[in-house]
Amino acid sequence: MKPAPFDYARPADWSAALALLAAGARPVAGGQSLGPMLNLRVATPEKLADLRHLPGYAGVTQQGGTIRIGAGTTHAAIEDGAVPGRLGAILAGVARRIAYRPVRNRGTIGGSLAHADPAADWVAVLPCFRGEAVVLGPAGERRVKLERFVTGMLATALSPEELLLAVELPALPEAARWGHWKFCRKPGEFSKATACVLAVPGEAPRAVLAALDAPPFVVADASALCAAPEAEAARLVAALDVADPWRAAIARTALRRAAEAAS
Amino acid sequence: MTTASDRPSASEGVNRPHSHASKTGKGVGASLRRKEDARFLHGRGRYVGDIAVPGMLEVAFLRSPVAHARLLGVTKPAGAQDRVFLAADLPEIAPIRAVSALPGFRVSEQTALATGKVRHVGEAIAACLASSRAEAEDLAAACEPEFEVLPAISDMLTARAPGVPLIHEHWAENVFLETRREEDLSDLDAVAAAKVTRVLRTSRQSMAPIEGRGVLAEWDTRLEQLVVTTASQQPHVSKTGIAEALGLDEGQVRVIAPDVGGGFGYKAILLPEELVCCALAMRLQRPVRWLEDRLEQLTANANCREHHYIVTAWADREGRLLGCDVDATVDSGAYSSYPFSACLEAAQIGSIFPGPYILPRFRYHTLSACTNKPPILPYRGVARPGVCYAMETTLDALARQLGLSAEAIRAVNLVPKEAMPYRNLVGKHFDSGDYKEALRRAVALVDVPKVRARQAKGECVGVGLASFCEQGAHGTSVYHGWGMPMVPGFEQAQARFTPDGVLELRVGLHSHGQGLETTLAQVAHEILGVDPARVRLVHGDTALTPYSTGTWGSRAMVMAGGAVAEACRQLGERALTIGAALLQAERGEVELAGGTVRRRGGAGIALEEIARTWYRRPQNLPADVDRGGLDVTAGYRPDPDTGTHSYACHAVVARVDVETGAVTLEDYVVVEDGGVLVNPMIVDGQVLGGTAQGIGTALYEEMPYDAQGQPLAGTLADYLLPGATEVPDIRLDHMETPSPWTRFGQKGIGESGAIGPAGAILNAINDALAPLGAEVFDLPATPARVLAAIEAARR
Amino acid sequence: MKRPISLTVNGRAETVLAEPRTHLAGLLREGLRLTGTHIGCEHGVCGACTVEVDGAPARACLLHAGAAEGASVRTVEGFDGDAVMTALREAFSAEHALQCGYCTPGMLVTARDIILRLPDADEARVREELAGNLCRCTGYRGIVRAILRVLAQRRG
Repeated sequence: MKPAPFDYARPADWSAALALLAAGARPVAGGQSLGPMLNLRVATPEKLADLRHLPGYAGVTQQGGTIRIGAGTTHAAIEDGAVPGRLGAILAGVARRIAYRPVRNRGTIGGSLAHADPAADWVAVLPCFRGEAVVLGPAGERRVKLERFVTGMLATALSPEELLLAVELPALPEAARWGHWKFCRKPGEFSKATACVLAVPGEAPRAVLAALDAPPFVVADASALCAAPEAEAARLVAALDVADPWRAAIARTALRRAAEAAS
Repeated sequence: MTTASDRPSASEGVNRPHSHASKTGKGVGASLRRKEDARFLHGRGRYVGDIAVPGMLEVAFLRSPVAHARLLGVTKPAGAQDRVFLAADLPEIAPIRAVSALPGFRVSEQTALATGKVRHVGEAIAACLASSRAEAEDLAAACEPEFEVLPAISDMLTARAPGVPLIHEHWAENVFLETRREEDLSDLDAVAAAKVTRVLRTSRQSMAPIEGRGVLAEWDTRLEQLVVTTASQQPHVSKTGIAEALGLDEGQVRVIAPDVGGGFGYKAILLPEELVCCALAMRLQRPVRWLEDRLEQLTANANCREHHYIVTAWADREGRLLGCDVDATVDSGAYSSYPFSACLEAAQIGSIFPGPYILPRFRYHTLSACTNKPPILPYRGVARPGVCYAMETTLDALARQLGLSAEAIRAVNLVPKEAMPYRNLVGKHFDSGDYKEALRRAVALVDVPKVRARQAKGECVGVGLASFCEQGAHGTSVYHGWGMPMVPGFEQAQARFTPDGVLELRVGLHSHGQGLETTLAQVAHEILGVDPARVRLVHGDTALTPYSTGTWGSRAMVMAGGAVAEACRQLGERALTIGAALLQAERGEVELAGGTVRRRGGAGIALEEIARTWYRRPQNLPADVDRGGLDVTAGYRPDPDTGTHSYACHAVVARVDVETGAVTLEDYVVVEDGGVLVNPMIVDGQVLGGTAQGIGTALYEEMPYDAQGQPLAGTLADYLLPGATEVPDIRLDHMETPSPWTRFGQKGIGESGAIGPAGAILNAINDALAPLGAEVFDLPATPARVLAAIEAARR
Repeated sequence: MKRPISLTVNGRAETVLAEPRTHLAGLLREGLRLTGTHIGCEHGVCGACTVEVDGAPARACLLHAGAAEGASVRTVEGFDGDAVMTALREAFSAEHALQCGYCTPGMLVTARDIILRLPDADEARVREELAGNLCRCTGYRGIVRAILRVLAQRRG
């Protein structure tokens, strides 16, 4: 289980990073998802561009009602409270249940999102917030709504020449209610169904159902789910046509329990 | 909250018996801390992978990506002709033939590298050498094998279906062995108050020691000797196997098992990879090393525990068993492994199925099916976890039909202590024990009324029991009938004083977690009074130790413990003779006490001084001294050697989430009797560790295969091993019924913990599901299986 | 192609020749002969290779040589004189928290992090935090008790 040979580069600035990508290098942040794939030779890039040391890649800032989380911010930093306020408390709870602490110490929110494993926690949770991914490419920055960022199994809205810079999420009032439920047989196992529900006073509640081997399913107005969790969860999952009856059952449970927790 | 300080430490179980607590706190019965801990806690253990020698080449194997195919050829990477070796390049390696003398056994020939055909995914085809493992893997990736793919036998139940391809083409059918015991049970329907039939299945598992296998082979040109450092539980057996396969004298092979990172049966095998490394080291005159990685371990070597049972059982109104009819199939994989053979599991099922119960009538048929999967190896408990699961779930099904409690049906069937020693209808000879008392205590320790009250409120919670016994340390009289490549005989130990008075013990088996460096020192202390700190254990090196079949079958403490005791006793006799002379006393006036030879009630002379006299001041030795000196090799075998029977009752409280099928173990109790415990702390560790593995069998571990014979769990993210959150804080209670047949009354107990969990946990789940009319039959009881059972009951 | 990788290991500046694909565990073991860091799965699940990188536990199998450049690494061989590690070693032995010893170095690095980061951890939390370190021998009871013992000692 040793990787195929690859070259490694550590760009000093963003333009160097983009140049490496333009030349075909594969970006890597914490390497906690890519690392196993390299060791298993499932991924065989010729060159890696290590983004970890780029200026401003990690870190959290707030401007007005928007919280910007640098893509290179580790799960552990978020677990330990790097994100302020109610949003930070919610994200800390999610982060704590990602893989294991030694993995969280290296793995990053941006790396996880850009890797786009449908079972990954940030892939499942972030679309629940009305936020955006900040993307840097040869033509400069652009923004992608988080619910449109992951497009399929290991597929995103990023082109091969683009990088994920940050995610920007709205700060949440203390009264925001949150429900998050995922099914793992043991901590660190890939989720077999994840659901989350966010209810911000004055806004329509939102819900996401994810980890079903498909891009996350976003319910932009989850009012019905919050009003009648059991019936609506059953209706939503039935519409998704999940082949495996057990996965369908835990998906229903996930949605219902997340909705109940948020109400 | 309970804090660490007010909890019992590992050495204080509930209700610990102390009948053999050592007087000095260091001998038999003492929870002495382990001598081996310090090196492991500082990262100073030395495992195969830690050893690197100059000029060493690393091997990566090209392994078969298909389960069953004709191997038409392999194109070696350009320029690497001399670094890639196929079977045809290594004709000096004879095929592995692990025979059994049982009638009808079909012998497979396993070449170290595939020849003509591949028979399971992961079978080694070519050895690729480079100066690093990564480069060797590059070579393996660049090889181009050509296959004519054949249909695969991926399900043991189809092994003898009409028209299936033959895995070994000269065989009549895909079967290693069938065994049967005939008895007409047709009258039982008329007389029984209850009859149940269950079809049960257990999954293929990977033993998954955290350290994989590994081997480093070197040719010593001075000694003209192959030196093989390998992660083995049985270095002497490996030596014999290597010598036979390579046509060497046994003296030309030295096998060293250094620190080994977990065995569990996974490392009780002569490996094809060992033979390849040995042949290459001889051919190339360079050290050659192969270290198994996790991908190889999971995909090429998931090799145990896959059983299928059809059990019918009859009972009278009180639940007394009237008879059992068992049809068992074991997936034995593609080849017969050396030394335990392909039939060790299936052929034992008949003799161990009655378990700790009185079974008056019994018919069985067992089949060792040959399939396109890795060859079966005996994993901790061997066939017992599956058998116990089958018997215990069947008993509960009977109890439910009769309206009896799980405790009641066991109580009427367990062999009573008054009947000990007891010989059952298939000839198992139980040495001692009070099986019913273990049951009673286990039931008392879990709060059954509370579970019943919660059930009455509609909670999906249940309690489950499993009673079983474990034959351990069985010897010649049992194994000679198998006719395998290996039959254990007298276990030998060497005890000697070095000139400074340090006691050196040499044993041919191996300690890889069992703490023998400590426990055998405790045994020596018990006999000679030498401080365990002044005892060194040499083990795992065939050049330095007496022959042994190794560490397996819960035998080390009974066999090596007995041998060390006997060697120390004889060594003590010799020391007494010298000591008496130095004290100018009669031989009959002196005794061994506290590490000295002393006149009874009088002055003593230290064993160090006696050692110094023998080695360095021989002028002071008496005329009648034993010229063998302070160096004794003694052999030991219990009498009878049919095996000790430790036994236990596991009791479990489990909660089921009826929406997801998830199972939570709320309480886990083990009442265990291992006879006299040489080191209770270490025995606790063995029981706890085995139980954790059994929890894996019950709930988590499964290597699924698709119809083409492809293993589907290639990483530990797919093949789930129990972690600290999956194993509850298991509560242990000990009983102590000495075995009348062993040196200190100790019983083999190393495998015991792994036997009970599947039965106890599934019984708890099924107890929880009973109000829903649902029952789970297959292991592991994954959430999907549990939910499917609930859904099936709803329909 | 091998290239020099400079990093600090157990307080010492080291430069090791390694291919970029060599992972930190391989670099430590083969390059520096620090064999206390064990390789168990090479995909981040088992935890046997857990070492401290820049002050926090990390998987040495998932950190490849290039990324390790400039890092400060501490392995099981580098904790002599560390009070928490000394207490853990004592507790591991007292609670029989190890058998074959293979998972032990990674277990100790994780355990030390638990002690320092979560001084109020209870049994459930300790078990949750240990989820990324697999032991096949002990059934975890001794490990959990050893960590709880040290936590209790430090709480006084």
